[in-house]
Amino acid sequence: MALIEFADFSFKYLGADSLALKRIKLTIDEGEYVVITGPSGCGKTTFCRAINALVPQFHRGYVAGNVYTDGKNTRENEVATFASVAGLVFQNPENQLVTLDVEKEIAFGPENLGVAPDEIRRRVEELIDLLDLEELREKHPHEMSGGEQQRVAIAATLALRPKVLVADEPTSNLDPTSAEVILEIIAHLNKRGMAVVLVEHRLDLVAKDASRIILMNKGRIVADGNPREILAMDLCEEIGVGVPKATQVYKRLKTRGVELRNVPLTGVELAELVQEATSR
Amino acid sequence: MSFLEVFQYTRQDSIMHRLDPRSKLVLSIVCAAVSMMFMEIIPLLMVFICLLPMIAAAKSLGRWAKSMKGLGALLVFVLVFNTLLSPAENPLSYSLSLAIRLVALMTSFSLFFLTVQPDQLSQALIQMRVKFEFAFAMSMAMRYVPTLGQEAYAIMDAQRARGVELDKGNLIKRIRNIIPIIVPLIIVSIRRALSIAESMESRGFGASENRTYMEMLRFGKRDWAVALSSLLILILVIYVRFFVGLPGWMLWGLPF
Repeated sequence: MALIEFADFSFKYLGADSLALKRIKLTIDEGEYVVITGPSGCGKTTFCRAINALVPQFHRGYVAGNVYTDGKNTRENEVATFASVAGLVFQNPENQLVTLDVEKEIAFGPENLGVAPDEIRRRVEELIDLLDLEELREKHPHEMSGGEQQRVAIAATLALRPKVLVADEPTSNLDPTSAEVILEIIAHLNKRGMAVVLVEHRLDLVAKDASRIILMNKGRIVADGNPREILAMDLCEEIGVGVPKATQVYKRLKTRGVELRNVPLTGVELAELVQEATSR
Repeated sequence: MSFLEVFQYTRQDSIMHRLDPRSKLVLSIVCAAVSMMFMEIIPLLMVFICLLPMIAAAKSLGRWAKSMKGLGALLVFVLVFNTLLSPAENPLSYSLSLAIRLVALMTSFSLFFLTVQPDQLSQALIQMRVKFEFAFAMSMAMRYVPTLGQEAYAIMDAQRARGVELDKGNLIKRIRNIIPIIVPLIIVSIRRALSIAESMESRGFGASENRTYMEMLRFGKRDWAVALSSLLILILVIYVRFFVGLPGWMLWGLPF
């Protein structure tokens, strides 16, 4: 059974003119690292919300088709049922921190679900350790930087022990350095076995870790597959996706008749491939 | 408004901070009640002198002194106007005791607000059988005060950049100037509220009837001691004040 299954799912927000998602059909399995990208307004956020039933339970509208997360239909179960399956991290960290210190924030989710106090305490300590939050322990959210806030928000989401982490542009409000830290944490979580669905524009930072890239445009999935295959397509430039610099160089070389053996995603890979091509 | 600082929680590790919020609530209400019961200088001064070591126990004397300095202007105002306008026999004596009473009252309540974190307050309310949603809404309001303040400043700057002259004109014009601040602020806040709700919903807010709490407040021996001795003192003071009467030397007042 797939972890997440979209079965011909379409959705239109109440009062909107057009569909936000059009007949989405795909499955995501455990352990995958899926990066979703596409121009703004293409339905990425709606896609994330559909995974844990925020769409159509919290955001109402016209629905067709079904989404099954961990085998449960999102049209028939409440958002809270999915809290311990799909953990969502949102764009604005400030809006995800609802208590006055880090410990309480991490405890908030498990408390809601009625987890035993000893177990909550254990998870709090574990996550403070995992995400390196020790020095923030007693800070008010207002005293933290955006990157620190987002780290706490991720910890708070993980406290529910979800099977998949769904992050909707978690770095868009952050400076480059904090963004890199957050993306490293996400890659690390994936290596520990957690499935990740990440909406992200900065492909040069995430393409190397992703196992799969999905391109969306106007509510549809226009391409879905291995990062190297997808980023080598001309479609990326057509819909305005920021292809990594190394891949751009690869494409430019190709138009000039120099074919590298593989599609590079990082500068290091590019250097190696070029070296290989020239020594041949 | 610096005198309000004395009502703002400060993170400290002190005997006072470690007490249960409920016992501190009793203590601070008793202190306030006692200072409300007297109109004479000596008993009020005695209450005040008893309060000082408690503030010291909360390691907050510095903060308290700063706030009292801020309160200075208001105290002078109370003194002058009451002395001039009061129909009492000894107006200066009367207004002096009013001023001491104001300080004692503020100090009593600051004992509570200085040392109780808003989250602890809501936890105390929950354990006093207030509904979780209600108590949580209160601590969340506290949580988002600075955020909202920041947003208000950002909007003010944005409107100034568009040529709204916020601090010019007569009173009516100034009041009308609030509109371009308040309307965007409300819209932004509603949006923020939606986004917060989305995040809370995703973390199972309101999911289980049997919500658990990582930390429950425990009413320890020390808390019982504080609460019971406060109540005992209250009873004693009421008895002396209403049934026995104050000894003569305590009734002393300034002759004018």
